[in-house]
Amino acid sequence: MRDNTLKYLLVLPAVLVVFATAIWPLVESLRLSFTVGRLNKPDFPQGYLGFENYTWAFWEEPAFWNSVWVTGIYTVLTVALTTVLALGLAMLLAPGGRLRSGVQTLLILPFAMSPALIGVSFRFMFNPEFGLFDAFFGAVFPPLADISWLAHPQLAFAVCVMADVWGWIPFLTLVLIGGLASVPQETIEAAQVDGASGWRVFRDVTLPQLAPVLAVVIILKSIFSLKTFDQIFMLTNGGPGTATQTLSHYIYFNGMKYGQIGYSASVAWLMVIPMIFLTYAYAKFVFRKAS
Amino acid sequence: MAEVILKNLTKRWGDFVGVDDQSLEIHDREFLVLLGPSGCGKTTTMRMIAGLEDPTGGEIWIGDRMVNDDLPKDRDVAMVFQNYGLYPHMTIFDNIAYPLKVRGTPKPEIEPKVHEAAEKVELTQFLDRKPKALSGGQRQRVALARAIVRTPKVFLMDEPLSNLDAKLRVTMRAELKHLSRQMKITTVYVTHDQIEAMTLADRVAVMKHGVIQQLGTPDKIYNDPANLFVAGFIGSPAMNLINGSVQDGMFVTTGGTRLVKVAIPDRAAVILGVRADDMKVFEPGEGDIDVTIYAFENTGESTLLTVQWGKQRVIARGSRHLRKNQDDVVGISLSAEHLYLFDPESGSRIRED
Repeated sequence: MRDNTLKYLLVLPAVLVVFATAIWPLVESLRLSFTVGRLNKPDFPQGYLGFENYTWAFWEEPAFWNSVWVTGIYTVLTVALTTVLALGLAMLLAPGGRLRSGVQTLLILPFAMSPALIGVSFRFMFNPEFGLFDAFFGAVFPPLADISWLAHPQLAFAVCVMADVWGWIPFLTLVLIGGLASVPQETIEAAQVDGASGWRVFRDVTLPQLAPVLAVVIILKSIFSLKTFDQIFMLTNGGPGTATQTLSHYIYFNGMKYGQIGYSASVAWLMVIPMIFLTYAYAKFVFRKAS
Repeated sequence: MAEVILKNLTKRWGDFVGVDDQSLEIHDREFLVLLGPSGCGKTTTMRMIAGLEDPTGGEIWIGDRMVNDDLPKDRDVAMVFQNYGLYPHMTIFDNIAYPLKVRGTPKPEIEPKVHEAAEKVELTQFLDRKPKALSGGQRQRVALARAIVRTPKVFLMDEPLSNLDAKLRVTMRAELKHLSRQMKITTVYVTHDQIEAMTLADRVAVMKHGVIQQLGTPDKIYNDPANLFVAGFIGSPAMNLINGSVQDGMFVTTGGTRLVKVAIPDRAAVILGVRADDMKVFEPGEGDIDVTIYAFENTGESTLLTVQWGKQRVIARGSRHLRKNQDDVVGISLSAEHLYLFDPESGSRIRED
């Protein structure tokens, strides 16, 4: 009996910390999402609205749907590009791959940078007057000189995707190198002797055995892509217009800039739904691998 | 069907020499065993034949084609790996069918061939399972079936039985022998197990430090070893090697015992090799010399006597019904026609005139 009490007592501080930093803010944001919640008016949060914030987002706000669309495309593109490029790099860098392993150390550098810093540095590199990329494109393809990359909706979006892919490739590559190392070499050699070409070995033997790791990588990257904020904030601040405004940015804008805490909380809760699915899938894959 | 010819084959990793300038002709339909301790270059040699390892120098010929620059898939060989190398995500059927599938065999032809191969290794009832659901011996059969499902020019087997338990190894060995005699395809088989080599091979190549020490039939390497290494490596228990000298046509142990007549000129240092089976055990006084038993072991089908002989211990095989105790004295005789003499410096055999 005393042991039992002590057991719970010892766990209590951790539970309290989790409660204070995760559970309470979640519950509180859910409560606020049903209120008017205007920061710039007296008597915050000014009473309950029921589901009006939610219905407002769905039926009255094209900007919400714009940010959903932007986030969707952004997630699909960054996840696909990062995974494919990281897989290619991992194949080259894995033990027995074509590149020396010393390169692995260099590779981790982009991941060591904070997303905000990546945003700032990409903004500088794409500056039409003194940017590195602009000078490069101007020299190689003169027609492309002096394009204001970040002022053009599609190009600005492309730059955001590029910066994100660049920043995430190292981590995904490292995870996939680990995954590739766990594929038994003998199965690959057996396939080679059985008569498979390099591509068939990859498709028939390497890829299926890498699938569990690949699934974890894709889910993890999807979660991070869906909630991208800091990089976009520093790079384009959602612009031009709302061309690169992701959901997180939209939530921030409504809550912090316009003071509509109630509304932004409701949008944030809308975002929780896909996140829960992805997190559940992630946990399932990770723990299935462990058991 | 093809012969395999290695010409001056060499493999180096930096300063380390894996295979040192070796030439070897493996005849069409021959079962050749590469035998040696780990690190002797036998697996490297096989991997170079398969194309999984690039030679540093020399040529590899399969049939009338030099295959040095061919990818493994273009060499028309089939290989059985030590750890089976099965595809864990495919069913047994798909595992066996893979070499056919990937080489573009029409679908209707695949199924009967897979069933035929599975039948040969008695696996037909497991075709729907994944490799995980099979035992080690069954997995090894799948690997075997995958190799025999088509008719390659050469079979390569890399210690295929070494992951099986002792009992299963004996059964599988017999099955392998049966299959190989049935199929008559050139086979290169790598092992460190001399029993496997003796029982399976048409010819055995004994390797050490990347060099083939002796190439010959199992009979030849057992009864006529070329050097000290082969003599010590082949046979269980290992051949007794006794240090001594030759004086007046007699072998004299370092301890001074005049032991047996040998037909070579006198020399100061020589090693006498004699197998346990070629030493006869008698009651004290009835043999050539009397020795004390250091350990007596009854293996069931025979008895092994480790006896103290001056400063050395040698092993003699006694009859199945012999019963002795530690520290008993027995008489020992060497059978003169099965003695081997070696030069202790070079390890090479000194042949009688």
